[in-house]
Amino acid sequence: GRRPSMPIVEKDARSGIPESFSHVPMAKRIPMSQAHKDVHPAVLAVGQQMATFALKDSISRLKATLLAFRKVIESYETPKGNSLSRHFVPHVLNPQIEYLTECRPMCFAMGNAIRLLKGKVNKFDIDTAEDEAKEGLLEWIDLLINERITLAEFSIARNAAQSIKEGDTILTYGRHRLVEKTLLEAKRNGKSFDVTIIDDPYERSGQELAKALRQAGIHVLYSPNLGGLRPKVAEASNVFLGGEAIFANGSLHAASGTADVAMAAMNAGVKVIVLCETINFDRDRVSVDALTYNEIDPERNTADCFRLLFDVTHDKYITGVITEFESGGGNSPAQAI
Amino acid sequence: MAPSQASYAPSLDNLIKSFNSQPLEASIESLIFLLKRRQVKGDECARATAHILRQVVAKSKWHDVDQLLSRVQSAGSRLVRAAPLEPVIGNIVRRVLGLIRDEASEDRNNADDVTSEAASDIQTLGPSAPPPLPRPVPVPIRPGPSAISAGMQVSKSMFNLLSVADPGDSPATGASTPLSQAQPASVHALRSEVMDGIEEILDEINQADDQIAGFSDIQIHPGDYVLAYQPTRSVERFLVKAASKRRFTVIIACLDSPNSGAAEPPYATLRKKLNTAGVNTINLVSNGLMAYIPRVNKVIFGAKAVYQNGGLLVDSGCCIAAQAAHEHLKPVIVLCPVYKFCPEDPSDEVSRGELGTPSSYVSYANGPGVDALEVENTVTDYIPPELVDVYLTNLGPQTRHHLASILADHYKTEDIGFSLQLGEP
Repeated sequence: GRRPSMPIVEKDARSGIPESFSHVPMAKRIPMSQAHKDVHPAVLAVGQQMATFALKDSISRLKATLLAFRKVIESYETPKGNSLSRHFVPHVLNPQIEYLTECRPMCFAMGNAIRLLKGKVNKFDIDTAEDEAKEGLLEWIDLLINERITLAEFSIARNAAQSIKEGDTILTYGRHRLVEKTLLEAKRNGKSFDVTIIDDPYERSGQELAKALRQAGIHVLYSPNLGGLRPKVAEASNVFLGGEAIFANGSLHAASGTADVAMAAMNAGVKVIVLCETINFDRDRVSVDALTYNEIDPERNTADCFRLLFDVTHDKYITGVITEFESGGGNSPAQAI
Repeated sequence: MAPSQASYAPSLDNLIKSFNSQPLEASIESLIFLLKRRQVKGDECARATAHILRQVVAKSKWHDVDQLLSRVQSAGSRLVRAAPLEPVIGNIVRRVLGLIRDEASEDRNNADDVTSEAASDIQTLGPSAPPPLPRPVPVPIRPGPSAISAGMQVSKSMFNLLSVADPGDSPATGASTPLSQAQPASVHALRSEVMDGIEEILDEINQADDQIAGFSDIQIHPGDYVLAYQPTRSVERFLVKAASKRRFTVIIACLDSPNSGAAEPPYATLRKKLNTAGVNTINLVSNGLMAYIPRVNKVIFGAKAVYQNGGLLVDSGCCIAAQAAHEHLKPVIVLCPVYKFCPEDPSDEVSRGELGTPSSYVSYANGPGVDALEVENTVTDYIPPELVDVYLTNLGPQTRHHLASILADHYKTEDIGFSLQLGEP
């Protein structure tokens, strides 16, 4: 009884999308009752949060996914006559992944982590005891979260904060977790500098950043949209941008508007520094324009009102990328994975 | 223009009607008031300026060409100062000044040459006028284009600046002395000729959009994806005209605040018109434009003014569109009637951008959120000339290399700095 209604819901949601953007995927709310029966409750919750954008940026999505998978592994019991390394991925993990992808197209960090997780499972010997394998997977997930997320965030913020000089004006676009950490870290180190925030009026996340920076005592110039971008960028000493992913060709996948800011900065001769964890790097995919990999804003998906969530910044508009391993030009960190 | 602004201000037509019924000074003051409050802005400024200058020519007291010029200059520079970021005002004032000079010199030449048809014009227009006497020594009013005479002009204006308190009452100086001997009859004729000339300027302003739209089928091809950034009235007319001949897709983008709470999505009427003509529209509600440019064939927007160097004054956000298109080598087409060409270079103020109210973006009720926060909502952008491919004027498409000849055809060198020649009031 619940299946037949699915295609109708799907058709309605996508029917208004203009023809020329109809190839672009879009997040979709799936009623709990329509989810596949094999989906674990923890994953179900994460999927809902992703579909509603309560979990939004790639790292929080990755972290929530990994923690949910941890629950899946904990509650997993290998059926008689099977082994974990043969049974877990196709029969347990894949339905979870399918459900999450249906809720919202997977981000590149999730893709990377899932690939690593599957590789880990496959490496177990067929005779490995179930408890041992489960213990190994849980430890591995904890390690991944600690190293690639928590430690990465810490060391990127530390490295980037060191590059801020006394009296600098740092320009940023919207609100990105790493940029926010970096600026607060630099302030804690006793540096005095100004921040210019260019915001997206459809998100307004920059206002939250402005509030946090003001509370730390940083002088903030807030611009609600991209109007007057050129003169504002020209007055900055550095532009710090955060991203969702970096493709194999070095281009940055980030909130729509990032490319416009980076380009204006590069044209004005201002350095553009991208902060990104290596788990977000995609070494398989290449994107030269924003219509290859993107997402439609599910709130605005008709000809009346249309919006893409991301754009692609060509690596020629990026001076450097700061990752937890090294800092370098647009391309070199891609080899670090 | 933003539709929300219109409700408070009297409509331009009502304002212009009121010019006829009230004294000149009151009309000028009311226009200055509206200009300062930005309730008359953009294209409306041009029409309002032409109308008010028509009143100046018709109602103010003047006995010779020099007095008329200085009346127009002083009214014009008051308007310019009221809205320093509306360069079209200055353009129209310069056009009218140039017109007066032309008519005066024509008049004088006609007076020299009694057989000309203009002489009979003068008689019909001024019934009680005695036949104009030929002046003994015709002296050119307008200095030639040579550098030397331009230098003379500068020294003349400096002299005015230092010595004359009220330019309206100043005795005519230097080169133009002979004109002060003009007869009352020619004053009358000049008045009506100048007023006819201003009517022509008004016609030009009113027809410019349609003339530009006439070039739409050359610029827009079947199957195009045209990005129209914050379409102005000119751009709307252009697109609708093109839609009558071509099948294409219009992507409309704008920088409107999402909180404006409008009942219908922006540009609903334009989109309805285009859709009925069979043209698809997509309404972007996006800050950045780089994501969409790969899909777009060309970018079109209207300019508020075009400067001497080819740079543009535009509504904010257009610069993003132009920049993104330029980087992807997509043509940037700017619709700009000739009256928006400004014989000046952009000031620092212009390139920095005009600031609008931040209140539509940031709520001041949110104390901790805006505490000591500096908010800048820039409402105009300056676009450097290298980002523009085609200047589509009512005289046809132009490139920036030929803008100088348009400026030379429409303005006289001595009028370029008219508002500076008077000094501060």
